[in-house]
Amino acid sequence: MINNKFFFFISALFVSMFFSNIAIANDDEFKEFETAIIKGSIDDPFEKYNRKIYKFNDTIDKYFFEHLARSYRKTIPKPARVSFRNFLDNLSLPLSALNSFAQGKLDNGLTTFSTFLINSTIGVGGFIDVARKKGLDYEREDFGQTLGYWGFSSDNFLMLPFFGPSNLRDFVGFSVDRTVDPLGFNVLQIGGDTNFIDGSKRIFNTVFKVVDNREELLDIIDNIRQDSFDPYATIRSAYLQRRLAQIEN
Amino acid sequence: MKLLKFFMVLLAFTTNQSYSQNVSKDEMVKNFVQIIGDEIIDVAKNKKLTEVQKKQQIIKLIDKSTDANWIGRFVLGKYFKTATVEQKNTFMSYYREFMINTYGPKFNSYDGKKFTVNSVEKQSNFFLVKSEFVPQNSDVVVFFNFRVKENEGNFLIIDFIAEGVSLIETQRSEFNSSINEQGMDKFLENLKIRIDELKLQNSKATPKKAKK
Repeated sequence: MINNKFFFFISALFVSMFFSNIAIANDDEFKEFETAIIKGSIDDPFEKYNRKIYKFNDTIDKYFFEHLARSYRKTIPKPARVSFRNFLDNLSLPLSALNSFAQGKLDNGLTTFSTFLINSTIGVGGFIDVARKKGLDYEREDFGQTLGYWGFSSDNFLMLPFFGPSNLRDFVGFSVDRTVDPLGFNVLQIGGDTNFIDGSKRIFNTVFKVVDNREELLDIIDNIRQDSFDPYATIRSAYLQRRLAQIEN
Repeated sequence: MKLLKFFMVLLAFTTNQSYSQNVSKDEMVKNFVQIIGDEIIDVAKNKKLTEVQKKQQIIKLIDKSTDANWIGRFVLGKYFKTATVEQKNTFMSYYREFMINTYGPKFNSYDGKKFTVNSVEKQSNFFLVKSEFVPQNSDVVVFFNFRVKENEGNFLIIDFIAEGVSLIETQRSEFNSSINEQGMDKFLENLKIRIDELKLQNSKATPKKAKK
């Protein structure tokens, strides 16, 4: 009888040890997954204000930019929209190449610059992306990525009025890019002429870029508005992940 | 000397065996994702099926190939520890339905020319699968990745990554923010309402939108 009791006790002990080990192993395994998957943390000290700006942007977008983008999609055929996007993308390539060089990515910088030369000439001013069709593939770089590459963190998430998600690093990057860009303020006087393109063309270029970007994002933003329980949190997380991936590329 | 030879042979044998096991596992993961991708494209392309039939078939494919329990636990994040057993159970049963009914129909438009798995890489306890997709009306290749885990000899998808954005990481952030704002019970209530809406939507054809 005593032996039986002892046997049951030992069996129960082993069974409980076995199952508790499984639970611990599962928790440990899960933690390992979590650590491997989650790369960055979300730092949003201005969340209260950022959410208000998001609401403002969202309202302006619903009443103005979204309609503009939908009308653009409805009236301009897709091949024409693709050509316009190619043209706008091509204009930004010299700056992208400079940022590649600033990150020591010589190959990517040269490929980007070659793409600019090929598309500007054979690609009829950039309207046809001949270079990509011929297999030239490059990663787009901006000054925010350059800062990230040199170790500036993505702390302090910002929701900027009209411009949308950013952070302190990317906001500085964006301002520098616009200041240096020959099609922006051209403070370095690239090409020797501060008025590389005149004021009205610069405004037209900016407005066209905004409409093109918003058209490109139509389906993504529709999905977020439809699916997300908290669109602000979804956009913040997606933005930070994407920027991290762009810096790590 | 004989003993040394024996150990060398043993070492060579075990190393070779583990190498071949890894190689074949990578190949198995590659095949698993390729088959799922091909099956989704076949359904999306099938002109004999109505839109509702396509949605339902793709939902079934997503359901059988993903680990909803694992993803559910992941997206619950810090609230997995603080939720009651009842709340956790309710969430897990809702989450599976939410996931398949939200993301399944989105693959309806994946009637592409080609889906190719390019590489498989072991990372931590999962496999990172890199793939590319060529849409029907475009030559622009779309790249996306999957995270796949092994579960008792079977492979299951646990994440979908496009443009560096992980679906489960984004959803974890969204759910945690929402639970923080409204509390777990209200969140579960809203999740149930959403599931009912999604099921209703998926039983009907999608209203026509502006052309893309």
